Amino acid sequence: MAGSLKVVYFVNQFFGGVGAEEKANIPVEVKKGPIGPARLFQQLLGDGGTVEATIICGDNYFNEQREQALADVTQAWREAKPDLVVAGPAFDAGRYGLACGAVCAAAQDLGIPAITAMHPENPGVLTYRRQVYIVPTGTSPVDLPDVVSQMFQIAQKLTSGEEMGPAETEGYLGRGIRKVSERSEPGYKRAVDMLAKKLRGEPFQTEVPFQAPEAVPAASLQRDLSQATIALISTGGLIPIGNPDRQVSGNAERYFSYPIDGLESLTGDDWEAFHGGYYNQIASDNPNYILPLSHLRHLESQGVIGRVASQIITLPGVSTPVAKSKHLGAEMAQELKDAGVDACILVAT
Amino acid sequence: MRLEIGTFPVHDVVFGAQTQWRDGLLEVARDEILDAVRSDPRIAKADLELAKPGESVRIWPVRDVVEPRVKVEGPGVVYPGICGRSITTVGEGRTHRLSGVGVVEVSETPWHEAGGDHLFVYLDMSGPWSEIIPTSSLINLCVVVEPDPNLGVDARNDAVHNAVLTVSDRLAAATASLDPPERETFELTDVDPSLPKVVYILCLHSPQAMSGSPATFCTSTYGLTQLTPPWLFHPNEILDGAITGPYRTAFATSWTMANNPALLDLYRRHGTDFNFLGVIATRTEWTTQHEKEMTANQTAKVAKMLGAEGALITWDAGGNEFIEVIRTLQACERSGIKTVFLTSEDDPTGSAPTMLEPVPEADAIVSTSFFRADLLGLDPLPPVDRVIGNPQKISGRLRDHYVPTAGPLPAPQRYDDHYGFSKLSSVEY
Repeated sequence: MAGSLKVVYFVNQFFGGVGAEEKANIPVEVKKGPIGPARLFQQLLGDGGTVEATIICGDNYFNEQREQALADVTQAWREAKPDLVVAGPAFDAGRYGLACGAVCAAAQDLGIPAITAMHPENPGVLTYRRQVYIVPTGTSPVDLPDVVSQMFQIAQKLTSGEEMGPAETEGYLGRGIRKVSERSEPGYKRAVDMLAKKLRGEPFQTEVPFQAPEAVPAASLQRDLSQATIALISTGGLIPIGNPDRQVSGNAERYFSYPIDGLESLTGDDWEAFHGGYYNQIASDNPNYILPLSHLRHLESQGVIGRVASQIITLPGVSTPVAKSKHLGAEMAQELKDAGVDACILVAT
Repeated sequence: MRLEIGTFPVHDVVFGAQTQWRDGLLEVARDEILDAVRSDPRIAKADLELAKPGESVRIWPVRDVVEPRVKVEGPGVVYPGICGRSITTVGEGRTHRLSGVGVVEVSETPWHEAGGDHLFVYLDMSGPWSEIIPTSSLINLCVVVEPDPNLGVDARNDAVHNAVLTVSDRLAAATASLDPPERETFELTDVDPSLPKVVYILCLHSPQAMSGSPATFCTSTYGLTQLTPPWLFHPNEILDGAITGPYRTAFATSWTMANNPALLDLYRRHGTDFNFLGVIATRTEWTTQHEKEMTANQTAKVAKMLGAEGALITWDAGGNEFIEVIRTLQACERSGIKTVFLTSEDDPTGSAPTMLEPVPEADAIVSTSFFRADLLGLDPLPPVDRVIGNPQKISGRLRDHYVPTAGPLPAPQRYDDHYGFSKLSSVEY
């Protein structure tokens, strides 16, 4: 670490020694020198650098007045011109974790390396793990010295320009960036060894840490169903017969919309299935299995739903990476929203 | 159930007058073997060609690689059930194998005609693709074979694979009366009762849902490929080829199944690290969530009833099947069985989890890197001097045009090291 490394530290009201929950509303306050965990960091820095200032902010204030808080924090950095920003550790405190994540992300946006620490299930991890180096912690501040020491190790790499190794060897939470790498033993040996260790109760390290999938809550219907416009989306690979658009049967790069106004039902004379993941003949014989237009028209005529949307959306849902699917899904949602659609049915195959 | 495997290493293969093994040299009576293959009226054309490691050779399309094995003592035949062979339970007595040699099934015959599951595997005998595919380091005797095109697709599959087994049987038969230079005995002996009891849960794709037929050719259990409930195997049965036949990836071959290093390592550590109870073969690609969860629950139940405390889980397929595989893992963990999951990973480039359905119970995963070969950063596969099989290779996302097989070519689309042959993995930053 460079001899004169300038560090600005960020803590909440509790670790800043201001007070507990009753002080959670205090605004950003900048104090000279190291306070709380920053003192440990200063000890580790020794002659190699100085914690110039400690920024303290109440947990509620930061999360409720985020923009103002970040503006004040950024202002403090402009004055102190730090080479490194350190935040936390936040352990399992959710509001504090979110603040630490936001502070580190803001520092990086300004080109300042940053490091924080918190429990892997802290909401700050879910929000910021892809952007920020986070040292995993337990739930208890008992581990504070060890955690700060680990933050210091990573900070050294961040500020020295030394190449950062993989998460599992450096000791930060993986940022979801996975790269091909050769390990010292073949896969079968590592797997059987890991099983032996797991059964003996010895420590072992998974090669793919759990990463919670993104949960998408269903949107609530904004009007009465009998007034609503309903669209149909099928991932069953429904295509106009003969595949005039030259659609693929898997790993779709795009989706297709087709107008269906005036169409009562899908028939095998005009439509078929082209999908690399199931026995297509059943759906080609009766395409309503993968896009139940006839049933939705019936509900429309009965007044159960307002109307069937003017277009249907189709693609083959096979082997499309999740990231690509997210992108396609967002485009579909926008197209339907622009067309005044209130709800859609995603037909599973 | 006690099985002795006698190994006859093969250092070179030559065509000759008589099929025989002598001090590591395998001589193959080409014409005689081809006569046997062609005596099946379903075979329209057949040829034998040799491909050796390091040669500038590409083999296309590759449906399967079979290790020549023969039962010399004990009941049944190797690779039982498939292509109408005896279904007598195998796994006892003595089996001979020719190591270092593969019989490659080279044919344009598709698994089925319902779309999906296309042939896309090819083998290179040199270059970057050969370095990561274990069967590229074998001396490969290629059976280039096409059946009568007027036959139905299941009959064509049966004819083609039967031709390959005919060749494999003839080669292995040359060792039947010889004394094997290497012997290893496999038996689930009584062991120290304090050792942890483990099962190997071997998830196998079934093509039934995709093809609409329970008889479609694929990896088979005693010849069956249909969706079946979890099926308990003695590991010796698998060493005798009771689970055999190919699926679409370079690692789902008869050879990789009979040489599955994860199975062999678990088995060899029986009595030292584990009390190995057996193998549960769980079929995948059920069609409804209900069926997927049921097969997962039932697999865990069988493991629990056996007394398992641990389970190694592998699989051999794509996305759909992941659901019952990961739910099997979850069901095992929830019933107190500690699991390790050996798997490839999905595309990491969009920052989505690389497990299709991540579950927190999957806390012990070993990664064989990414299943998409284009993510491995391989150098382009160079043109080759010689092609075995079809000089034209189907290409394109719509599979609607042909390119010269000689290349240069991109790698086949999937690299799926199902059983952990290689050291390739991935790490997170």
